[in-house]
Amino acid sequence: MAHAHSVKRYKGLMDWITTVDHKKIAVLYLLAGGFFFGIGGIEALLIRVQLAKPMNDFVTAQQFNELITMHGTTMIFLGVMPVIFALMNAVIPLQIGARDVAFPFLNSLGFWTFLFGGLLLNLSWVMGGAPDAGWTSYTPLSSSQFSATHGVDFYTIGLQIAGLGTLIGGINFLATIITMRAPGMSFMRMPMFTWTTFVTSAMILFAFPAITVGLVLLTFDRILGANFFNVELGGNPVLWQHIFWIFGHPEVYILILPAFGVISEVVSTFSRKRLFGYSSMVFATILIAFLGFMVWAHHMFTTGMGPIANALFSIATMLIAVPTGIKIFNWLFTMWGGQITFTTANLFASGFIPTFVMGGVTGVMLASAPADYQYHDTYFVVAHFHYVIVGGLVLGLFAGLHYWWPKMFGRVLSERLGKWEFWTFIIGFHMTFFVQHFLGLIGMQRRVFTYLPNQGFDLMNLISTIGAFLMGVGTLIFLANIILSFREKKGVAGDVWEDGRTLEWAIPSPPPEYNFKQIPLVRGIDAFWKEKMAGHQEMTPAEPVGPIHMPSPTILPFLMSVGLFIAGLGFMFTNDDFGNSLLNFMFNKYIVVAIGLGMTFLCMLLRSLYDDHGWHIEEEELKDGGVQA
Amino acid sequence: MSTHDLNEDGAVKHRHRQEGPQKHVIAFIFSIILTLIAFAAVAAGGVNTAFTVILLLVMAILQVLVQLGYWMHMKDKGHMIPILFMAGGFFVAGLAIIAALYWMWW
Repeated sequence: MAHAHSVKRYKGLMDWITTVDHKKIAVLYLLAGGFFFGIGGIEALLIRVQLAKPMNDFVTAQQFNELITMHGTTMIFLGVMPVIFALMNAVIPLQIGARDVAFPFLNSLGFWTFLFGGLLLNLSWVMGGAPDAGWTSYTPLSSSQFSATHGVDFYTIGLQIAGLGTLIGGINFLATIITMRAPGMSFMRMPMFTWTTFVTSAMILFAFPAITVGLVLLTFDRILGANFFNVELGGNPVLWQHIFWIFGHPEVYILILPAFGVISEVVSTFSRKRLFGYSSMVFATILIAFLGFMVWAHHMFTTGMGPIANALFSIATMLIAVPTGIKIFNWLFTMWGGQITFTTANLFASGFIPTFVMGGVTGVMLASAPADYQYHDTYFVVAHFHYVIVGGLVLGLFAGLHYWWPKMFGRVLSERLGKWEFWTFIIGFHMTFFVQHFLGLIGMQRRVFTYLPNQGFDLMNLISTIGAFLMGVGTLIFLANIILSFREKKGVAGDVWEDGRTLEWAIPSPPPEYNFKQIPLVRGIDAFWKEKMAGHQEMTPAEPVGPIHMPSPTILPFLMSVGLFIAGLGFMFTNDDFGNSLLNFMFNKYIVVAIGLGMTFLCMLLRSLYDDHGWHIEEEELKDGGVQA
Repeated sequence: MSTHDLNEDGAVKHRHRQEGPQKHVIAFIFSIILTLIAFAAVAAGGVNTAFTVILLLVMAILQVLVQLGYWMHMKDKGHMIPILFMAGGFFVAGLAIIAALYWMWW
């Protein structure tokens, strides 16, 4: 087979902007996620500095509102989501024995829309004030009447664009996992991380349309003068709460399920044992996803839905503790009797289990509607969700990054620094958030920018602030570890942990562009481990060596996202008077919106009109060692 | 692309078993008839409004089933996953709409 057409290869920055390779997109997601994670972290530290002592005036009340809003929004939508997508992109095609995701073009588009949405949101800091209505942006606080600056517009339009990227990513992974598993890999032979990614992607597919609708309605209310949430004209602000949490609750399971997958992989690899109760793990994952869609109103117990609704949602919420408990016990039983090695990855995974249990227990406490009337909007809630998101998800992400780092970059992170990271981070974490349970119980409210002295809040807040800085130190050590690792020579063994169980460890680190020289044949759960135990050096190939079909790099996804970015920015300032006739004309007559959307649609047209059949890597070009132990 | 055969262009070969045009012709005629009934019911005008609305809804549901079953191949083998996901979508969206409306306005 000849080349479909001449191969375009870009170098340097152009290579990164035009890439459709899932491994490079994973790196892009990691860089962007790390960047936003840093911004969110700095915002967190500023919040903690303000709260370190009573009656502090480090920031004003308005700045504090902006900080808490942007901390929550940034961390959830722009910090942890992309790092999750980084791991999925880096690992999923390798784990299922595929050469790329199902839609490489969409993969790139998903990344760039996410990035430009995130940048748009963060531009608000320098363009007249960040959003200040909380990450939940409840109406009527977020209406144009009470949030008169453009802050909330940046929130609605920035998240809309970023959310598009997430939705695209989710659909892509669904298609990838359904259609591109290697021969022999039935659904019940998929690695646990692939399973959780699959279920997470399905949840993204069902949950993100809700927030999309909500954001559109809020945008219409604010910019075009609609009244969906305006009581005076027949709207209903409770509608926003429902829409937000119909998305928002599945969203937190979208965050935690991939972490469950990471922990399952790490714990079983470093215990040198098969994951205990694999099928019950799959069942529990699906059950959590299913129940996750019918508990949203537990965020609204105090809204006044009445006792029947509260009781129903209480019970549904408590039910989720059952599948989660199954998972916890399965991890413990996987470790039980295993030959455990406490690498940094496994330390983070082992730290995850008790920490997440603590977050889960306060979750069940909050699920009780009568008790929630006491906890609602206090630091008890803040402690709870940081235990599950930081103590759960972020520890899981650290475990996953340490575990797969050698696979992604061909370099190992230092174990010595890793231990420092772990201990500073987890001690800092518990210092920061453990005391917040008690702060909440004795009455400290969330989202209040300062407090009076001598209410019993002073010492605990100081401890919390010190802990937050300790977590910052842990994160800095991680950064130092990354930088130092890039001074090492590239190229570690494919099966770098020596106990690799799944397919990604059967190929070199980092993998070649085409991942698998020959697609492997899968003969059981933990396919690579099974071959090793059978005394084989490598996976049995499922196809002869032949030319490999590759997708072409393209800049269209980048340009499409730039177009959306311009259109979003233009739409936001539709009603502004700039005191300049040209600017007024450009914005008030939707010229900027038209330019941006025109750019996006032109790219879509080009994509539709010009068929790109990709190119082939010929047999002679394939390096040795496609599939080997 | 392991599980698919590729043709010269690198595109995935069409894998649906060829099954003569008769069924599609029948489905097409059925779709047209459903549409005609709907138009006729409105155009006739003489019947009372409630009946027309119900008739339109029934026609719409039948139309959706024909479209999904025949044109989207939902009735064929190997479409369990699309069916599962569509059912999931209907369930989640339906639950959300009904529950939210119920607790907001009744």
